[in-house]
Amino acid sequence: MSESYDANSETFMGVPRTEIPWWPTIDYSKCNFCMECDKFCPHGVYERRENEEKQLIIKNPYNCVVFCRACAKTCPVDALSFPDKREIIALIKNIRDQSESK
Amino acid sequence: MTKTLCILPCNGLDKSLGVIARQVALNVIEKSPNINLICPVLLNTGDKEYEDILKESTIIVIDGCMTRCATKLIDKRNLQINKKFFIPDMSKKFKIKPGKELILNEDGFRLADQIALDILDFINESKDKKPIEQREIGEIDYFKAVVDKFHFHVPKMGYYFNENDCWIKPEGNRALMGISDFLQKQAGDIIMVELPEMGLEVEQFDDFGNFESTKTVLQLISPGSGKICAINKELENAPELVNQDCYGKGWFVEIELKDFDADKELLMDGPAYFPYMQKKIEQERLKREKKGV
Repeated sequence: MSESYDANSETFMGVPRTEIPWWPTIDYSKCNFCMECDKFCPHGVYERRENEEKQLIIKNPYNCVVFCRACAKTCPVDALSFPDKREIIALIKNIRDQSESK
Repeated sequence: MTKTLCILPCNGLDKSLGVIARQVALNVIEKSPNINLICPVLLNTGDKEYEDILKESTIIVIDGCMTRCATKLIDKRNLQINKKFFIPDMSKKFKIKPGKELILNEDGFRLADQIALDILDFINESKDKKPIEQREIGEIDYFKAVVDKFHFHVPKMGYYFNENDCWIKPEGNRALMGISDFLQKQAGDIIMVELPEMGLEVEQFDDFGNFESTKTVLQLISPGSGKICAINKELENAPELVNQDCYGKGWFVEIELKDFDADKELLMDGPAYFPYMQKKIEQERLKREKKGV
């Protein structure tokens, strides 16, 4: 039997995915819950909560493809933001250097 | 015979980006009155005259946001778009951030002026009918993996990959970039590519365009840093080249490299990417299994 799929065991550039804080942040003061981002994202990062005040949440942050910002382009009200790419690159390099020197 | 030219802005009145799209189209028409301006609202009613003109025309669309209303109006009619302009990309290109107000501010007008000039350049360039530049790639020696009935290829030498499955092939101070065989197969039949503008500066891991397949829209994440110095225009008419020859005729862009030694630190060569890709193929298989597909 093959091992089952576990997104949390994935790595990105040699670094555990769970150590890379890359996913969209929803600005709820702008979001109008049009769900364009959720319709677009093929990785199941978002989840809809129909009966709650926040009708859309980030459900699976580590499913988000590091450096992909495609969903933000679908947002008509510019409510999605991502971390600074350079900071993330620096962080990845740092973690890699540390594990190499161990 | 030269085809007539139509320009269709999205006109999104509820967003500043849509208002800019409208302003861009007005600027273009002012400078070049022979172009047919298509009103998306009237088009949406199924206006017969518009439908007839569009069938015989070269079509330029201007979309303000990712809802891409203008593109959708043309796609619905199964017509071919010759060039798409996307306001957020243009805003990045010209480094002008328009405000969010629905009545355009100074920056909004400035951006609209710049984009209109860009469109007019595109129109004049198309008239010159410059020959499509192709790049000689030559024979490639591959690592090959067969999974189910699919054959996956990774060049053994000369290509470097990021974990977003895009490749870069440096040669001197320039480099071609494209997508890997894995990403191409994962996407399925590619029906449309959106290439960046010439001269655009990209940093490593910036997006440098999109492509659309029958299944999805995907972003191209740049493996290198530099300035776009050539784009593979042939893909605009024949996006299937990416499926047929992703490491050769299906290249997307060429860049003037800024510092490839620095870029390389965060890339994999062929021998490193090959097992990485195999792992990804296996993960995809497990994901499908989990979903019960």
